[in-house]
Amino acid sequence: MSNEVTLMSTAKSEWIKFRTVRSTIMGTIMLVVLTIGLGVLVTSLVRAHYTTMPLAQQVTFDPVSTSLVGVIFAEFAVGVIGALFITSEYTSGAIRTTLAAVPNRFQLSFAKLLVLVVSMLVICEIVCVAAFLIGMAIFSGVVPTASLTHASDLRAVLFSGVYLTLLAMFSYALGLILRQSLASISVFVSLLLIVPLIGIAFPQSWQNHFQKFEPISLGGSMMSVVPNSSGFDPLHALLVMAFYVVVLMGVGVTLFQRRDA
Amino acid sequence: MLKIDHLTKRYSRTLAVDDLDFEVKPGVVTGFLGPNGSGKSTTMRIILGLDHATKGRATINGVDYHSLKDPLREVGALLDAKSVHPGRTARNHLRALAASNKIKRSRVDEVLEFVGISSVANKKVGGFSLGMSQRLGIAGALLGDPGVLLFDEPVNGLDPEGIRWIREFFQSLAKEGRTVFVSSHLMSEMAVSADQIIVIGRGRFITQGSVDDLTATANGTVFVRASDIAKLSATIKTMNGTVHEENDHGLTVGGLTSDEIGKAAFDAGISIFELTPQRASLEEVFMDLTAGAVEFGGAQIDSARHE
Repeated sequence: MSNEVTLMSTAKSEWIKFRTVRSTIMGTIMLVVLTIGLGVLVTSLVRAHYTTMPLAQQVTFDPVSTSLVGVIFAEFAVGVIGALFITSEYTSGAIRTTLAAVPNRFQLSFAKLLVLVVSMLVICEIVCVAAFLIGMAIFSGVVPTASLTHASDLRAVLFSGVYLTLLAMFSYALGLILRQSLASISVFVSLLLIVPLIGIAFPQSWQNHFQKFEPISLGGSMMSVVPNSSGFDPLHALLVMAFYVVVLMGVGVTLFQRRDA
Repeated sequence: MLKIDHLTKRYSRTLAVDDLDFEVKPGVVTGFLGPNGSGKSTTMRIILGLDHATKGRATINGVDYHSLKDPLREVGALLDAKSVHPGRTARNHLRALAASNKIKRSRVDEVLEFVGISSVANKKVGGFSLGMSQRLGIAGALLGDPGVLLFDEPVNGLDPEGIRWIREFFQSLAKEGRTVFVSSHLMSEMAVSADQIIVIGRGRFITQGSVDDLTATANGTVFVRASDIAKLSATIKTMNGTVHEENDHGLTVGGLTSDEIGKAAFDAGISIFELTPQRASLEEVFMDLTAGAVEFGGAQIDSARHE
């Protein structure tokens, strides 16, 4: 039947919903302002003080990660966007209207994920490349610069967009499981910030084993040009992040299908 | 057609719906009546596949809601008027709904016009009054021009003009041959808006029939004025009749016909001034039917009074 509800018609509906609420628009503005704004601030400061920097620091200086410093803050913006995309349906009761229109819950949760991934990937890649290019323009002439023509630099910039997109999916999956905006965002922030703090209480030898599995460390590994000795290489860091997302999505979709709306 | 087939829903300890079994036929407005907490909303949620049934099933034209290929074109529902994201405009809310079921965009403006909220179509739903939200909910239900329509407590929050509009609207939908299923906890509302009524209480089926059927089955009372009210009252009690109300003006008697009362008065030598059989009001019928089935009843006024 031509009128059948399909994945694409559901995704179209979800796309309308995604872009017609303030939380998405505000979240995206925060994402752009934080990533580019902080990048401009930090790269300008580095340019001003670079010549007085100790030689040891100059040698290990990484222009790519410095220009992408804002990503650390953008993590929270994508977390809010991802979680609210599903939890706002529960807090408003709109989920009942949504499910009456699209009773296939697997299809619905997948359509939402599709909309989230495509829109976040596009926005985050644009923002990260912009932050990088602006940073290099500021460095130019004073600080050594990186270039997108270098494979490792290009990968570091593109992976930062992928990292943010994976975090948005991570947060969306948490929202599917917890169904409440505050709870989901709290858990998301805790996993990013509080877990590493708890880790500090453990002996150094333990930290070396666990730290690299923390989402923030994985993000750092994905964005680094030079692989660091204690962490994963960029590709493996991406795979571990993706594994987290797949597991959480599996739990989230299973609960979504079983629970009463 | 809507069929509820031995439906049971249990939430941990509470049995919200207990073996409900009935059919809702097209062409008439069917009222779904019960006190608050009697399982009306739960039943409607199960029909829409939102809640999973513990036992039994609900089908629309023979199939589960989950099996409908284009649900909005077959079933339109208004559950809770506030089931909308408050930050989205009315038009965007309907556009998103329409897109999922491949309903053309022009239909959105048609239904907005029909329910009379075109002027606020680009306003955020969060600022809507309950009445406006109800109208938006009805617009959403009509989007796919469905043959089966469910409305959960639709008159809540509507002004008198809105209530009259919605009654006529239900009748017109039924006249077009659609199945119209409307829940309410107000008997008086159902009496004027529904053709058929299904009564439930505590999740259980109580009775079903037309408004006339329901009042006919109820026991009427007889109002009597007589020369010696105290003596007549005593006489009636010996005949196993019940005296509901006794004052200087007269008696309201239950359990006896006017013939029996008249004859008894004659035998006792009491003059009758007035003998009027009274049909039970629908409200009384409803109270009688659901007396044992009120989930959250207040204390009886009589027993609460200190004497």
